[in-house]
Amino acid sequence: MGFDPTKDKAIEEQLVKDLQAGKVSSFEQLANLYQKNIYTLSFNLTRNATDSQDVTQEVLLTLFKKGHTFQGKSAFSSWVYRITLNASYMKLRTRKKEPNLSIEDLLPSLNGAGFQQEKLQDWSENTEAAFFDKETRRVIQKAVDLLPDKEKVVFLLRDVEGLSTEKVSEVLEITIPAIKSRLHRARLFLRKKLASYFEDYKTRKERK
Amino acid sequence: MICCKECLELLHDYIEGELSAEVHASFEDHFEDCPPCIVFLNTYKAAIHMSQTTLKSNDIPDIVKERLKKFIDKNKAE
Repeated sequence: MGFDPTKDKAIEEQLVKDLQAGKVSSFEQLANLYQKNIYTLSFNLTRNATDSQDVTQEVLLTLFKKGHTFQGKSAFSSWVYRITLNASYMKLRTRKKEPNLSIEDLLPSLNGAGFQQEKLQDWSENTEAAFFDKETRRVIQKAVDLLPDKEKVVFLLRDVEGLSTEKVSEVLEITIPAIKSRLHRARLFLRKKLASYFEDYKTRKERK
Repeated sequence: MICCKECLELLHDYIEGELSAEVHASFEDHFEDCPPCIVFLNTYKAAIHMSQTTLKSNDIPDIVKERLKKFIDKNKAE
């Protein structure tokens, strides 16, 4: 169970008031409310359980020690996500230079008039059976790992954490149109990676 | 009629319901005549759904949960 930003606004507000007033009991409640979100986001970025545990502890400690300084200029959860991202990025010290994702490379081949020329296979109906497959999980995790950071973080906050576009824009301090285009590129990238896996999933299974 | 390129580039806005009624209608027209774009839409949605579900299931391992609990208790007491 984690924090659901769409539902838990009132709980959050009360806890933040308590935290600002220095109430110790609010720390444990906040920790319980946020630790899954913090851990999962960090794990999906670092892909390392030890690092994610460290990050979670650091973030919780920051909430505990600095919570009373929270100004309320942005939503509290945006602040929590921002600290989590910074702490996770610190763990990924050796971050590689990443190429920009070009949308043309992610779309199917189009003719001069902008129409599709290849026959695409609809593998979306085969995914049910593949879902519980360890191999499928591995392929998906790897596809996400391969996303450039700029697109990855938007995908994790928007599609995995379920934040609204506006909220993601607040956390990352970038414009809404930029969030939308990064999210679209991330989704196109994942679609392309999964397509090459699923297009011959059935044949592979039948051969086995 | 809009072409596939326009359709695929605006797929995000289409599935998030952010297109104007007029543009939305031209998408529907396009999908009616363009099976490849329907396939693209289906697989786009499937990729989101699968990635989302897989990553959401990365829960905190029990051993880490226990350590976090100790950590919280310790800080609470201080």
